[in-house]
Amino acid sequence: MRLPPFDYAEPKSLAEALTLKGEHQEAAKVLAGGTEAMVQMKLRLTEPKVVMNIKKIPGMSGLEEKGEEIVIGANTSLKEIAGSGLIKEKAGAVAEAARLVASPTIAAMATMAGNILQNTRCMYYDQSAIVLSGLEKCYKRGGRICLALKGSNRCFSVYQGDIAPALMACGGKVVLEKAGGTRTIPLENLFTGNGVNPLAIASDEILTRVILPKPKGAFASAYRKLRIRGSVDYPLTAAAAFIALTPDQKINAARIVIGAAGPAPRIVEHTLQGKSLHEAELNAVADQAYSLSEGVDNLTMPGAYRRKMVRVFTKRAILGAFQALKGGF
Amino acid sequence: MKPKFLSLTVNDETHQLMVLPNRTLQDVLRDDLHLTGTKDSCGQGACGSCTVLVDGQPTRSCLTLAAAVEGQKITTIEGLAQGDKLHPVQEAFVNLHGIQCGFCSPGMILTAYALLQENPNPTETEIRKAISGNVCRCTGYAKAVEAIKSLAERGVSHG
Repeated sequence: MRLPPFDYAEPKSLAEALTLKGEHQEAAKVLAGGTEAMVQMKLRLTEPKVVMNIKKIPGMSGLEEKGEEIVIGANTSLKEIAGSGLIKEKAGAVAEAARLVASPTIAAMATMAGNILQNTRCMYYDQSAIVLSGLEKCYKRGGRICLALKGSNRCFSVYQGDIAPALMACGGKVVLEKAGGTRTIPLENLFTGNGVNPLAIASDEILTRVILPKPKGAFASAYRKLRIRGSVDYPLTAAAAFIALTPDQKINAARIVIGAAGPAPRIVEHTLQGKSLHEAELNAVADQAYSLSEGVDNLTMPGAYRRKMVRVFTKRAILGAFQALKGGF
Repeated sequence: MKPKFLSLTVNDETHQLMVLPNRTLQDVLRDDLHLTGTKDSCGQGACGSCTVLVDGQPTRSCLTLAAAVEGQKITTIEGLAQGDKLHPVQEAFVNLHGIQCGFCSPGMILTAYALLQENPNPTETEIRKAISGNVCRCTGYAKAVEAIKSLAERGVSHG
């Protein structure tokens, strides 16, 4: 598959990259690992004027501890995140999610920010221009219909990132920079919930780092993902859970997030606080997760089945976190 | 779109090329340098047949812009053998029937080579995980895994 024509830029510093992004706005596509951007361009889902490779900018990659926080550079590879002792210890779900992305070669190329900033997917959208030329324009392509759910009044494309639900469960924040300004927002605020424009990042902004808190005491987190093959596939349902316990083994804090069940990862409300694992009504949490999820026939498994699996994977993630806590039972 | 002057180091040889910015490393390797051992299949990074090594790291050449790897050391399957003498990883694949149609072999052998460089004695699970991004429709993977395992067991140097 050929790429569309574009000019290529390799800014030497973040400041230079931000100036370029400010100048060209949407016309400049940020490239780092290439595993998402290159495919989107090959399919002509995006045809930028300039491709801006930020991979070689110094200081944008790597993990570091800063006081009570862990700062992860945007260009840090998923391989590095999956293998980091610090992430395994402080945000196990994030390490698990990184390990489960695509295949090892892709995980070595793909970056943290690229994985977060991926577009929503749908079998009526992620196709080559030739296939799409035979389909009516759906909401995501500027039309007035949804091809996956006939008669619906909105887009049902699915956010299939692995890393974002795990980061959200672990309380992650993202830093968005533009020329002359920086904002730090909780990761959940990066998602609009609208399948057409799923990400609330401005056209002059670049995601430069992710910040994770370092939890204290007894805590653990886990990520579980449904896919057909044991490798390569995007999640068809996913759940991440963070659990912290009090000294008497009651749940002190719990954060549960479901992924691949709608246009954004969603935080599941629950009443687990103050309960032990035996008292915790996991089925109620699973029901809540189910009610937040969408299951439309637009990915490789039937929507109804994917939605049913939200219940199962929510419970698996919570139990996974308890298992990781050891002695938490 | 203007062509860019590029200096690419492939299999220890430096090539000076005029390349349009939208050409992938795969395009340049196959079409300009005629190194057709690097295969073109899915074009989306899923199948692994275009895998080459960039600074020793397995990389999907179909998802890599040629301009982005200037100055880095690129190794294709053609760079593994020494003249007529196959590399031990290639020999193991031949001897243990890890190859049938051969289309996935360059990518899988380079991935196996990089694995053995990083971890000279991998377990079967580690081998299976490492090549899990290299899709093979003939061998059922068992023979390829055996070939890589034979090298791990022999503990040979894969320099």
